[in-house]
Amino acid sequence: MSPALNPGAAPLSRRAVGDAVDRVRGTFTFAVDRRIEGTLHAVAVRSVAPHGRITSIDAADALAVPGVVAVIDGSHVAADDGISPWYGENRADQPVLAIGKVRYVGEPVALVIADSRATAEAAAAQVWVDIEELPHVVDPVLAGAPDAPQLHDEWPNNDSGTWTLVHGDAERAMATAAHVHTATYTSPAQNHVPMEPHSATGAWLPDGSLEVWTGTQSPYVVRQRLATMFRLDPDRVRVRGDSLGGAFGSKIDLRLEGLVALASRAVGAPVRMELRRDEVFQSASKHAATVTMTTGVDEDGLLVARIIDIVWNSGAYALQTPRSSRTGMIRSPGPYRIPHVLARSVARYTNTVPTGPFRGAMTGQVCWAHESAADEIAAELGVDPVEWRRRNLLRDGDAFATGDVMHEMHYVDLLTAVDDALTADAPPTSSTRTRTRRRGRGVAAVLKTTRTPTRSEAQVQVDAEGQVAVRTSAVEMGQGAAASLAEMAARRLDMPAEDVSVSWPDTGWTPFDQTTSSSRTTFATGLAVERAASDLRACIAQQVAQPWGITPDQVVHRDGCVSSPGDPAQRMTYADVVRSSGAGELVGTGRYETPPGAGRLDPETSQGNVSVHFHQGVVGVEVEVDTETGRVHVLRAHGATYAGRLIDAERARKQIEGGMLFGLGQAVMEETLYEAGQMINPNLSDYQIPSLLDVPLTSSTVLSDADPDAEPHGIGESTVPPMAPAVANAVHDAVGVRIRDLPVTAEKVLRALREKQADDRKN
Amino acid sequence: MSDTSERITLSVNGISQEVTTAPSRSLLEVLREDLALTGAKEGCGVGVCGACSVLVDGKLMSSCIVPVGMVQGRAVTTVEGLAAEDGTLTPVQTAFMECGGFQCGICTPGQVVAATALLRECPDPAAEEVREWMTGNLCRCTGYYSIVAAVLQAAKAGQGESD
Repeated sequence: MSPALNPGAAPLSRRAVGDAVDRVRGTFTFAVDRRIEGTLHAVAVRSVAPHGRITSIDAADALAVPGVVAVIDGSHVAADDGISPWYGENRADQPVLAIGKVRYVGEPVALVIADSRATAEAAAAQVWVDIEELPHVVDPVLAGAPDAPQLHDEWPNNDSGTWTLVHGDAERAMATAAHVHTATYTSPAQNHVPMEPHSATGAWLPDGSLEVWTGTQSPYVVRQRLATMFRLDPDRVRVRGDSLGGAFGSKIDLRLEGLVALASRAVGAPVRMELRRDEVFQSASKHAATVTMTTGVDEDGLLVARIIDIVWNSGAYALQTPRSSRTGMIRSPGPYRIPHVLARSVARYTNTVPTGPFRGAMTGQVCWAHESAADEIAAELGVDPVEWRRRNLLRDGDAFATGDVMHEMHYVDLLTAVDDALTADAPPTSSTRTRTRRRGRGVAAVLKTTRTPTRSEAQVQVDAEGQVAVRTSAVEMGQGAAASLAEMAARRLDMPAEDVSVSWPDTGWTPFDQTTSSSRTTFATGLAVERAASDLRACIAQQVAQPWGITPDQVVHRDGCVSSPGDPAQRMTYADVVRSSGAGELVGTGRYETPPGAGRLDPETSQGNVSVHFHQGVVGVEVEVDTETGRVHVLRAHGATYAGRLIDAERARKQIEGGMLFGLGQAVMEETLYEAGQMINPNLSDYQIPSLLDVPLTSSTVLSDADPDAEPHGIGESTVPPMAPAVANAVHDAVGVRIRDLPVTAEKVLRALREKQADDRKN
Repeated sequence: MSDTSERITLSVNGISQEVTTAPSRSLLEVLREDLALTGAKEGCGVGVCGACSVLVDGKLMSSCIVPVGMVQGRAVTTVEGLAAEDGTLTPVQTAFMECGGFQCGICTPGQVVAATALLRECPDPAAEEVREWMTGNLCRCTGYYSIVAAVLQAAKAGQGESD
């Protein structure tokens, strides 16, 4: 074991309260604060061309800078038999460093390794990269044209995933519909903007194994990718993580870990990397998407058929796109009862930043379409949009577009809660509604599947001091996973949650967990933790039952103690039980796995059981539109979700309300912009995220199931996607213009208002 | 680095420090890399997000855009320097804990420093003044509600102390 990567007595578990003190004191160690003695620092030299062939890389000037240790590029990687440089979840299309070709501006071309980050940055500017430029394409629709520039020889037509969903006979049913509506909705590339940039430190140990400290959401995925890349048994790769300063999907799968491992391999010392903000923008993106939706309804406004065509922009490399584009397609019909659905989805490579999951992954883009369409259809039918939804929303026993028979459906109640909140606390309008400022209200609903199939493992242990520790590989990134998991274990053990510590992920020490994403942690990891805690509880009962002459199920657990119901003298703390067992510690293990077959879908029709349960969210907003400037101000927002079994009401509220503000950014301000194949706003001056001045009055409703054995549902994403369509629907309600291209900026609203005025004058 | 190094002395959290470095390096980088004070964070690098907030002679600054040469001879207070030596938290820190004024907490050091500066300048701010002042500190998790609540509670607690 390398002493370099085991800094002193680094704590391996933590408690929520102690963490909070450290957080307000500034002494809490986030991934980006992890410092390991003796590390060198790497900085990437990045492509300035969107598409081209690398003709030469001259590192002589950089190597001459004092303090520079090495410069490596794709040619070194390609020549190394110990490295399999191409990676990706579904297809290995992305090189750890560009090999022969660059496919987007910002792609890592070389790594400069030096004794300080400042030296490495200065030297990186002196690595001379010659690129013979090729024609580039940034628009995924154009990327599908026969004469479009081709990014990957192995993947023709820039195809990074093609899928269909066939439920009933949508084309035939559409012909019988009383009313048909069709429109196209577009949403742009956006950045996650975790306030903490990405960082990682990697080191090869003397025994030839690899150890990486990293700010990741998916330690076990990183372990697998590194094992494949460096041709190691996964047990020879140890991935260790800290708490993250936000992630939102940007820290899933391989990020910097391959680069630091590569750099460490080259120089024989631990190497650290940390991204600057522009590099964060150049490392991961939300998928831009174009969704065309045709909907047929009958005379009563009930949905008859829906035909959906989606084009996703996967960026230069696919990562998860071949799988996730299908997931997005499956969610695209929305939370409605539609007898006939046909969806066609294609993802295309373009010369833009590679994409990945983004809070509420692949859902915002399709929710934007089906919820805008919902209001448009209701308006054409002359029906109130809340009422139209109420008639069509999924209820228990209805079939979803995958054929799943739905259960635990709460949409109508969620919608009612939101509608009531919007109506009940309406602020006075007569005094503030001026000639130039108009108010309007809008709602939107979303359906999201959760990760299926999935697997989580956990251990809960108690030692001779009575210290209870939960071991999982779940990642704390602000969602409160550590506190929730501690609470779930504590309840099973009948002891205070404050006395339970929760591990950091460390694949050398903490059991398997698929990933911390898709709102799956409280559900999947949580159930594994509960089972581990129950197992430990049974183990403790087993220890005392025989000596006390009772059966294990007669043992009473309370406040971290066991006692015998008939004999008050028979009472022991958990610590006493461990001591008397002579075992040193008692360990419970637990595992959650989705049922066999869950998540398996027909390859042609996408019919099957798509998800063990469904995330349900409804959002309502009131906006004020300034008709002179087009500016949209969201005055208030109410979010509602269904939590299944609720673990903590306060943390749930924070997820819902924080999620709405996150969604507000996507609704009215956020978009990464490209000119000549180059992202032109990769900084927080030009790419604005919501600040305190953008905050609406916010409230929330959490519906839950009081049954202590009910499944908890994830709630961290379900109010994010509906924000954008709720805002656009409210803008339409306020001023009568329909924006179908996100974000709903002042410029677009103003232009639409002027067009409307011109049209009104003509009529 | 093209800059030649200079010897720069400054006080950090009441302790005199001497660093030999290029004066153009950011104060933030010197705090984090040379002085091992990682409380202040780099969020944007261009002085707009507030994660790197520190006090220089009591005045709120974004340390990511302050060249360390500019703080020669001056007193810098970072988030680590706010609590008492025995660990007693300030009213602002206590209020952030009690109100749950954070989720991931990466922006919290900057929020705490900015709120401290506000309450020194304006001990009893209205909610609107809090919103105005704190708007330079971005948070991607909370939705900000609990941050405003924490600052108002800290103001109230501070009032209580001086009464």
